[in-house]
Amino acid sequence: MAKPQTMIEQVRSKVSVERERLRPPSLHADRKAAKRARHKAKHHKYTKAAFFRYCYYDPAFKFFCEQVLDVDYLPLPEATRTASEVGVQNSSDYVCTPFKHILGDFAEALDLGADILIQFGGPCRLGYYGELQDSILRDMGYDFIMLNFARGIEKGYIGWAKEVLKTVNPDVDIPHGVVQMKALARMIAHLDSLRDFYLANAGFERERGAFDAAWARAMDAMRACTDERDIAQAYRDTMGEMRAIPLDKPADPIRIGIVGEMFTAIDERSNLGLDHKLVAMGVEVHRMLNFTNRYLRYNEPNLRVGAKDYLTYDMGPTSTLTVLAAKKYAEGGFDGIIHAKSAGCTPEIDCIPVLQKVSEDFAVPILYLTYDSQTSDTGLDTRLEAFYDMLAMKKEKRK
Amino acid sequence: MTKAYLGIDIGSISTKGVVIDENRTIIARSYLWTEGNPTEASKNVVRELEAQLAEAGDDFQIVGAGTTGSARRLVGAMLGASVIKNEITAHAVGTTYLHPDVRTILEIGGQDSKIICVSDGIAVDYAMNTLCAAGTGSFLSSQAHRLGVEVEEFGDVALTSKKPANIAARCTVFAESDLVHKIQVGYAREDIIAGLCNAVASNYLNNVGKGKKIAAPVVFQGGVSKNAGVVHAFEEQLGMPVAVDPDGHLMGAFGAALLAADAGPIDDAESGPFASGTFDFEAMLDFDFKTREVECNKCANHCEIICVYRDKDIIDSWGNRCDKGAVKTTA
Repeated sequence: MAKPQTMIEQVRSKVSVERERLRPPSLHADRKAAKRARHKAKHHKYTKAAFFRYCYYDPAFKFFCEQVLDVDYLPLPEATRTASEVGVQNSSDYVCTPFKHILGDFAEALDLGADILIQFGGPCRLGYYGELQDSILRDMGYDFIMLNFARGIEKGYIGWAKEVLKTVNPDVDIPHGVVQMKALARMIAHLDSLRDFYLANAGFERERGAFDAAWARAMDAMRACTDERDIAQAYRDTMGEMRAIPLDKPADPIRIGIVGEMFTAIDERSNLGLDHKLVAMGVEVHRMLNFTNRYLRYNEPNLRVGAKDYLTYDMGPTSTLTVLAAKKYAEGGFDGIIHAKSAGCTPEIDCIPVLQKVSEDFAVPILYLTYDSQTSDTGLDTRLEAFYDMLAMKKEKRK
Repeated sequence: MTKAYLGIDIGSISTKGVVIDENRTIIARSYLWTEGNPTEASKNVVRELEAQLAEAGDDFQIVGAGTTGSARRLVGAMLGASVIKNEITAHAVGTTYLHPDVRTILEIGGQDSKIICVSDGIAVDYAMNTLCAAGTGSFLSSQAHRLGVEVEEFGDVALTSKKPANIAARCTVFAESDLVHKIQVGYAREDIIAGLCNAVASNYLNNVGKGKKIAAPVVFQGGVSKNAGVVHAFEEQLGMPVAVDPDGHLMGAFGAALLAADAGPIDDAESGPFASGTFDFEAMLDFDFKTREVECNKCANHCEIICVYRDKDIIDSWGNRCDKGAVKTTA
């Protein structure tokens, strides 16, 4: 039988437990770590991974590469027209626009020295795109490793993790990676809530450019994060900064909800700066569609309940979210809804008749926008301006 | 002196101009082909309007101007306009002023077509053709050319047809090959023309008008509304009367003028035609306006910046996505 602890021993043990609890999370003690690091330095190739450009999730991609995969991250510079042109030249004309943009980004990343390309696939045709882009890029003459999230998805989480993560880094530390994946999910949720705040308020900043500057700082802060604690801190700091920006917001501003396809409705390069154009007109913008709502908290059957007057079945990757969001905006008295999709996006084309019904039932106008790989935004400006004028005049009249 | 307002609608095919007085009645109107030269076309329109104003006497002085249409920005800079508005808003404003009870506005122009739903005199919903230019004015005029008929006579020829040919309406490419086929197998010309008018109407209703509730009274306007054949096709397909205003083709310009009148006289112009407070025709007509495209090299995005010159002075520029590419005006 163990000897009962004395008082001093009890205190000592309590203190040490408490100290252990307060210690910042660190890599778990691993006696073989040093040996493995030496081995890695000798044998493991130094690799750079690149994602394609997608909305404002660049800090999350960086975090994933550096903290989960333990490879270098190659950030892509601001998109230029050349990148898209390369993508357009090398893809079929009828494929949807995101494919072209992603292909162009990959080619650019390879030119900049990436060894690994990461394609996280998607809930629609995007899931097949990794495979196709892999072979197109190889036909173009590039040599690289493709990390395709769509691979091995049938093997469950652990099997997937092993299959996917090991293609890139054979020494990947899976337990550590799992911890950091949790942090990554937190980061994505924070990025989305920062963006939501930005969209709702940036149109009313007293000093022009204040929100964009705060947003750029938020992105930098998020990029510098290495663990969950950093992420929480960065979020608190940058959100606080955004909240402190003085606003001139009317009591009843024009509110527009954006719904649509996963890529085009969010990605500013694909939709020719839709967010910025709306914000510049002084509109409160809402967009339910983002990573958090589509992946982290997605529960399609329950989501569909909210729109059961309109939906009986799951119609596609983001269809439930599109219809439900539109209905919510309509019920919430929004002035208008914008539906954005890329040309040839079948699931979202299927949503249009349903949205027309929503529009009729709630008497809320919906502007349908279809994007291809065009670079001129004159037509878009005309439509948005007219939409805004219409909503503003309607609001004026109702007063 | 009586105050008047100028409105110009510079479309891809035609340029329209009106002058309204303070009671918002049209006192001068002009309609000319743009012929790929919006600056020259709007100068000619202004010249015509000036002549009509001189005839009307009454010493009208133009104190404000508005522009609309696809070259609104360029001509707006030339005129020093106080209002530069998109054509959808301009059309809605113009039509609802003349027809306060209108519920649906159908509009087919040279390059685009739109539908505007109106409720209580306010536009509540609109749609515009997106990827496809099927059934617009330029399609009709190129087909008229193929058939050897003046586009102005098109409507009257169509109305003489007893049995319109069936022409695929889905897309201009298909419509055109269908049309060529029907010509080659010897259909009567008026039947083909009437079939074409039907195709334009059904294409419009299936594309632009899809999902929109078309309620009477319906007003049809834009250049194509002058085509009696298309008007007839719309009436038949909708099963309701379709009104065409004699000034229907000028509605955009009228809307722009109304908006300019709402904005009031321009009294703060430092240069340009409105520098003296009233519109100086000579100041606009004498100058040479040019547009140059500059590629901004200040970042990787390489924006195309469009600069408008009045002789040697830059009077306006646009196209830059950030302040780095901002061009200073020199006038």
